[in-house]
Amino acid sequence: MKMSPEYVKAQANMQAGVITSDGFMGTDHRNLTDIIEQDEELMTSVGLEWEPVVARMRHLLKEGRKGLGEPVTVDGDWIVQVSEARGFLASPFEDGIYRKVNAEVVLAPGGKPTEEKLYYSELSLHLLEKFHFLQGHGSPFRLEPARIKKVLRM
Amino acid sequence: MDLAFFIAPLAVSGISAALAAVISISDRILNNYGDVDININKGKKNLTVTGGAPLLISLSEQGIFVPSACGGRGSCGACKVKVDSDIGPHLPTETPYLTKAELADNVHLSCQVKLKTNIEIDIPESLFNVRQYDGVIEKIEDVTHDIKEVLVRLPEGSEVSFTSGQYGQIEVPPYEKIKESTQRAYSMSSAPARKGYLEFLVRLVPGGIVTSYVHQYLKEGQKMKVIAPFGEFMVRETDATMVCVAGGSGMAPFKSIFQDRIDRGVMDQRDIWYFFGARTKKDLFYLDWLEELQSKYERFHFIAALSEPQPEDDWKGETGLITDVLGKYLTETMPKGDVREGYLCGSPGMLDACMNVMRKFGMTDDKIYFDKFA
Amino acid sequence: MNSAPIIAPLTLLFASIFTSNILLANFLGMCSFIAISKDMDSANGLGMAVTVVLVLTAAINWVVLHFILVPLGLEFLQYIVFIMVIAAVVQILEMVIDRVSQSLYMALGIFLPLITVNCAVLGVVLFMQIRNYAFVQALAFGLGSGLGWWLAIMLLAAMRRKIDKAPVPAGLQGPGITMITIGMMAMAFIGFSGMLKVQ
Repeated sequence: MKMSPEYVKAQANMQAGVITSDGFMGTDHRNLTDIIEQDEELMTSVGLEWEPVVARMRHLLKEGRKGLGEPVTVDGDWIVQVSEARGFLASPFEDGIYRKVNAEVVLAPGGKPTEEKLYYSELSLHLLEKFHFLQGHGSPFRLEPARIKKVLRM
Repeated sequence: MDLAFFIAPLAVSGISAALAAVISISDRILNNYGDVDININKGKKNLTVTGGAPLLISLSEQGIFVPSACGGRGSCGACKVKVDSDIGPHLPTETPYLTKAELADNVHLSCQVKLKTNIEIDIPESLFNVRQYDGVIEKIEDVTHDIKEVLVRLPEGSEVSFTSGQYGQIEVPPYEKIKESTQRAYSMSSAPARKGYLEFLVRLVPGGIVTSYVHQYLKEGQKMKVIAPFGEFMVRETDATMVCVAGGSGMAPFKSIFQDRIDRGVMDQRDIWYFFGARTKKDLFYLDWLEELQSKYERFHFIAALSEPQPEDDWKGETGLITDVLGKYLTETMPKGDVREGYLCGSPGMLDACMNVMRKFGMTDDKIYFDKFA
Repeated sequence: MNSAPIIAPLTLLFASIFTSNILLANFLGMCSFIAISKDMDSANGLGMAVTVVLVLTAAINWVVLHFILVPLGLEFLQYIVFIMVIAAVVQILEMVIDRVSQSLYMALGIFLPLITVNCAVLGVVLFMQIRNYAFVQALAFGLGSGLGWWLAIMLLAAMRRKIDKAPVPAGLQGPGITMITIGMMAMAFIGFSGMLKVQ
């Protein structure tokens, strides 16, 4: 499908080495709009809605930051570790700049960590919220809807 | 033979040639901006450049370096310049990076300002001191598992006059999937007295373009471009007690600050409390040097705090989050009644948390200084 | 050879703005019409650009047609030649806009060079040729079509601003309701049909 100039530019910015070293597309050969469309379908099929997911992820990030880089148990069921680096990252859609804040959320019911984890950043969360972009397959920040459902327990 | 076979192609070529000529003449007229005058700081400096290029590039070609992390691609928002003349409305590529106050003040991203007419700009005085240096890597040393100490030798006869606490921008060339040169800012960890050299502490950030290059590819003897000095983080020359907090590569400006005070012989003139937070013992570095300073200078106190000491660390020092340790010392250990200045270098989260602790125990915002480019 | 229709240029001007609106009556020039009508300022800018292109290309192509192509018997080349002239005019217009107003240049983005393949432009030129207009008539027709296109895009932009705040059903949001709106605008303009002659 033909993409609007805005998305063409964003896809170019998402290539490896432009904003981040690995880029946002991973090894995916699909177009940006195709990825978003198919992920929207995936989210609906696992029964997730975007806004509550974003709210939960944002809450975990906020609580996790209080650990100043150390893992923190949030709401009894998750262990969140937030690391920060200096400088800013530009959004590939050229709609703002974001601090380099990365969160690792491990599902830990009752405080016992499991193998299920989510890895996201302030920027990737913005892309998820505003553009429904979950990143291309193979990207280190790729979020699979099934995994989101499992880890966030939604 | 039908004459049309000749006339038709001739006519078409003739018409296209005529059109091409018109386009090329228009291009010459319309895209030729002639010479443009850049008036800096109300006439303090005047430059005449060929128009048509972005302001950022024209300035750097004339030796004035506006800070930029993305090299003029419009993706970092660091190259802000206040424009005193009327250059039209803000472009959609600029607005995401400018606050309402900046928009009202006619602050623009200099990489997005195309020089078409004479322009008047206002830049901080300190930028006149910034220069570009073609340095050579003299030494690369590991200080921890993820921090490297990089020593850059400057060209013969050149030196950087900077104040401890400032930072420089280093540029790495294209490599692997990265197709363009990238610049990033790092605090200078060497003291100003060390002429002819600049040292930086570079911590590996997963997925970071410059830090990955420094850790995987940078070799001694290699050339590296450095643009310095930038920044307003520096020690205020007062008698107040200095409360310094840093973690990881945040140590860099403090290494420069302390060494500078030793070089100038003023290390004994103020109380200095330096809090260094890390997770485990392997994240600490320069311990020997800092402990030596503590024993040599009565008024210098070094407190390392580990948040997650491992059994094998055999750690006898402070434990816990650096903010908790800081709070404890501010109330219990440090002498009461003295005026305190805060100096912070670290991630935004750490800065906020430390500032909260400092405020809670009587320190005021106007006396807390931090490294702003974080 | 047929002679030019006997229509006063002024009549032709008003006819091409209202009764024979190139966009709403002939449905030419739709793609940038839909895309750029999201924002009033860019709609205004694009309308102006299209009008300038139409006037210039109508004039230049008329001259090329009657002084080069017809005398040399090369009417069959008209499609190629007309498009070349349109492309050149748009190219120069791009440079002018970039020089004069960079924010408009960026707002229009890809739709500025797309004026070249805007069927309204080629359509006007070909109508001029088919209906055998004289020079002044061609100018009036070009100007009128441009103004009509400009009027239509401004109307649509204004309406879209209101529609954005209205509770449109999810399936119709965006292109759906826009097409319906354009259809209704076209029906409204049919009310004018037949009042003035264009050929």
